Amino acid sequence: MNFQLSEEHQLIRASVREFCQKYVEPVADEIDQQARFPQDIVNRLAQQDWLGIPYPEAYGGAGSDYLSYTIVVEELSRACATTGFTLECHTSLACYPLFKFGTEEQKNKYLLPLCKGEILGSFALTESGAGTDVGAALTTAVLDGDQYILQGSKMFISNAPVAGVLIIFAMTDKAKGAKGLSAFIVPGDAPGLTIGKHLNKMGIRGSLTAEVLLKDCRIPKENLLGQEGQGFRIAMMTLDGGRIGIAAQALGIAQAALDESVRYSKERVQFGKPISSFQAIQWMIADMATAVEASRFLTYHAAWCYDQGLPYSKEAAMAKLFASETAVYQTNRAVQIHGGIGYIKGHKVERLYRDAKITEIYEGTSEVMRMVISGNVLR
Amino acid sequence: MLKVIACFKWVIDEADIKVDKGSRRLILERAGYKISAYDRNAIEEAARLQERHGGSVAAVTVAPASAKQCLKDALSRGPDRAYFVNDPSFVDLEPSQTASLLAAAIKSRIAFDLIICGEGSSDLYAQQVGPALAEKLGIPCATYANRLTYVESESRVIADRKLDDGIETVSMPLPALVTVLPDTNTPRIPTLKQVLGAAKKPVQNITLPDLGQTYAPSLQTLATLATTMDRRRLKFGPDPEGIRSIVGWLLKEGVFA
Repeated sequence: MNFQLSEEHQLIRASVREFCQKYVEPVADEIDQQARFPQDIVNRLAQQDWLGIPYPEAYGGAGSDYLSYTIVVEELSRACATTGFTLECHTSLACYPLFKFGTEEQKNKYLLPLCKGEILGSFALTESGAGTDVGAALTTAVLDGDQYILQGSKMFISNAPVAGVLIIFAMTDKAKGAKGLSAFIVPGDAPGLTIGKHLNKMGIRGSLTAEVLLKDCRIPKENLLGQEGQGFRIAMMTLDGGRIGIAAQALGIAQAALDESVRYSKERVQFGKPISSFQAIQWMIADMATAVEASRFLTYHAAWCYDQGLPYSKEAAMAKLFASETAVYQTNRAVQIHGGIGYIKGHKVERLYRDAKITEIYEGTSEVMRMVISGNVLR
Repeated sequence: MLKVIACFKWVIDEADIKVDKGSRRLILERAGYKISAYDRNAIEEAARLQERHGGSVAAVTVAPASAKQCLKDALSRGPDRAYFVNDPSFVDLEPSQTASLLAAAIKSRIAFDLIICGEGSSDLYAQQVGPALAEKLGIPCATYANRLTYVESESRVIADRKLDDGIETVSMPLPALVTVLPDTNTPRIPTLKQVLGAAKKPVQNITLPDLGQTYAPSLQTLATLATTMDRRRLKFGPDPEGIRSIVGWLLKEGVFA
């Protein structure tokens, strides 16, 4: 058993840290306060070969592994959760289903420009009436000659306003419920596809989240991903991998909360001493550091399972559950350690506190994670 | 084709150094290592010369065998091969020893037109290895360079030297050595493919017996203590009484005896 990262993984971490220090940290607060999508940073992510990390070079990827990708999401999120998530959504939710279920033609046409970072990807599953209950989706796809016609609307779709391609889920056979769901590759400029306005969120405010409207949206029939009725399986497998990415994002947020708390508690003087000399603060820091480390091991282990070709659904759910709840709890502690200043806009822990919450919700809520874990354990 | 050598040193990352409050000793057990800051400028400059003029770039370091990790780091930043001059005893090398070892390795194994070093290392900042290496190789040397131009037709380099009272521009025939300042360039952040590609680049391992050199450690670090700043908030006048008072305090504080 070896708990040490390889030289490559260590170098990747160092390069992302350097990148964040130079390009991300200085603008992270502005991205949050102005709810500004960091297009300039995304362009640089592409230059660094970070938009297709675990996918083969033949498809425009870097030919690396999921652990490298996990480390990049963690370090980016440590500086800016918006940036970390933008990359995560693109890599796990848009590239993965194409890589896993796409035909050679589909991969060359869509996965290649995605991995090269020429376009960003998005994943449209959720609807206003179908969140966790995916089978309640109302969006439909009907085959008309050599085209599918998509009708309906999707809710809370990340990256949608900037997506060059979206993986959209629609019912091809409503009577079958979840088994009637199919996945489609929809170009961002497809006729009949309209993207609603950027929703004003509590956290990850620079990440663009919008409604996706499909009105007589016609796409060629070869844009069906996998088989008709395979949509639920594609969505679930995609989200399994995505959970490792969200665990990494939560881990980065929690690590940043710890970093800020350590720094501040050593500087802040009350009663003539730094507050880090008080046991109340020491215990919070100890719990925070322990939870962050445990989150890291769970997350890296899930990524390692993925890379080894081992089952990872349970491991990914455990990592996401633990890391996201750690992020929410520990960012709360971080604000507490900072006191009044931590409640003020423009202070990093205030942003982290808001950014953390979404990690318990998207790509499967904590409740769904517990369902997945118990389903595996009680099997 | 221009053959460039970039020399670098693997040093403790100062951001990781912690201080034991009571004893002021440095806690280094968990500290990571990195390529010395100005040496990254040296590597970057070498890589840029290669991109502009073709040729080759070799990265060379003298280090303990345990520093192997430095090679992939250096190679991810542009050089096409690396030379690892190593021995377990290369821990507290004195600058003249580092220069001798580099000179022996370069003379016997590495063809070059231009050697680029960082102006000084992040840890000792003795600024000696570059000039001493040039001396041992019998080639001209320009220090404090912040701009470097290769004149291919004349086989020369022109270096702008940033001195206290102005910029001095010097021209040297190749082979030559230049030590660079941090404002020479902005080192690149290696891309993922560059990081992964580093493992595929050749590394030549050069041990002390390979060089036929003898080496006896001559630098011994007894202790390194963190500096502290403690304000006494004492005020003195310029009169004889004030001066006597200052001297008295300095004696009492042990600043001099």
